[in-house]
Amino acid sequence: MKIEGTHELRAPRERVWQALVDPAVLQRCIPGCERLEQTGDNAYAATMRAGVGAIKGVFNGNVKLEEMRAPTHYRIVVDGRGQPGFLKGAGELDLEEREGSTVVRYAGDVQVGGTLASVGQRMIQGAAKLMAAQFFTALEAEAQVEQGDPPPSHGFFRTALRAISGLLRRIFKRH
Amino acid sequence: MIPAQFDYVAPSTLEEALSLLAEHADDAKILAGGHSLIPAMKLRLAQPALLVDIGRVKDLSYIRVDGGSIRIGATTTHHEIEASASLRDACPLLSECAASIGDVQVRNRGTIGGSLAHADPAADWPAAILALRAELVAVSRQGERVIAADDFFVEMLTTALRPDEVLREIRINAPQGRTGQSYKKFPHPASGFAVVGVAATLTLGGDGKCQSAGVAVTGVAAKPYRAAQVESALAGSALDEQTAAAAAAHAAGGVDANGDIYASADYRRHLAQVYTRRAIAAAAGRIK
Repeated sequence: MKIEGTHELRAPRERVWQALVDPAVLQRCIPGCERLEQTGDNAYAATMRAGVGAIKGVFNGNVKLEEMRAPTHYRIVVDGRGQPGFLKGAGELDLEEREGSTVVRYAGDVQVGGTLASVGQRMIQGAAKLMAAQFFTALEAEAQVEQGDPPPSHGFFRTALRAISGLLRRIFKRH
Repeated sequence: MIPAQFDYVAPSTLEEALSLLAEHADDAKILAGGHSLIPAMKLRLAQPALLVDIGRVKDLSYIRVDGGSIRIGATTTHHEIEASASLRDACPLLSECAASIGDVQVRNRGTIGGSLAHADPAADWPAAILALRAELVAVSRQGERVIAADDFFVEMLTTALRPDEVLREIRINAPQGRTGQSYKKFPHPASGFAVVGVAATLTLGGDGKCQSAGVAVTGVAAKPYRAAQVESALAGSALDEQTAAAAAAHAAGGVDANGDIYASADYRRHLAQVYTRRAIAAAAGRIK
């Protein structure tokens, strides 16, 4: 399944890049990520408590960052396994500076298998888009934090509010 | 598969249910008819530690029709709504929508409140609720609040209900005067869920033209939505074939459509237009 999208983050590209490669920030931004431990060079072991609504599950897996070309591009490879199923994916992220904001383009291929895929197939794309939106909303908040300040908090409703206000901003910008 | 181990409690009052929810927070889940939750539990996609069964709570299941004011209790089953003669007279969209849900067994057990709180992107009730501009009453230990249908569906499987809230009642002001309603659905051949479902309610003004329209779509996007562009295209129009077709062209405008192995996003967008046109035509044809 292909997932792709573009998100505009109101933060300079250097700050967004720093946030994207910082495991402590990633752990706060990836929805439901409870643990992100370094296991090697740009390689991490992760535990994610992920889900939408009543459907939730715990996934354990590995995350690897490759082809890193600061501050414009990297490739992320993920594989995870959990009770509801398994997933394997790879994605390319490209960052472009635009008037003080950063446009992040991502394009990836994800395979989902197990119970989640057979029963939940009709919701997977929607769930993937939702989680990507949550991730980039949280990332924007992190990238906007000044050096030395405490990190922002990311509750579900806070993230949802940020996402909604981002959506409203985009709608009104067109007019 | 069988569900993971869970505790079960069946309170007899709403206060008890709310206390249990508050006490157990993330571990507790409300059980109504169970026809969205239990299949998920059997597949272990949902594993609540405690099920709080509100099926035995008094006074949560009722249908009250008072002129144009309709109030339906959250644990009223789809069948009870389908079979209610007073509802069919007051607001036939509700009967038609109820009759299209799942199958007989699902309609006998599933509840309107449970279906709305679960907010499956392909559920049928959300389309009717949005088209009718219903209000949903949520209760918690802090008190009650009324949520407008437009604000209720936040995201896929996510509603505006807080974790400590229970949906208690659905309130609808049935359209008065010269009105017509219809629910048109393309059911998935295996699951019966709406690949696309469109609810339409039309009211004529004194001049014989459309005074107001409610059109809502389910199954197409990650959450159900009111097709506002379709509604404004219909307002003030003669509700003939041409206007219906022109209005229906906006059915999926600006919407991020779902794609899956059964129907691609493009196909769903196309279906949304076709079924919107059919729902408008059927509703217009029923106006007396």
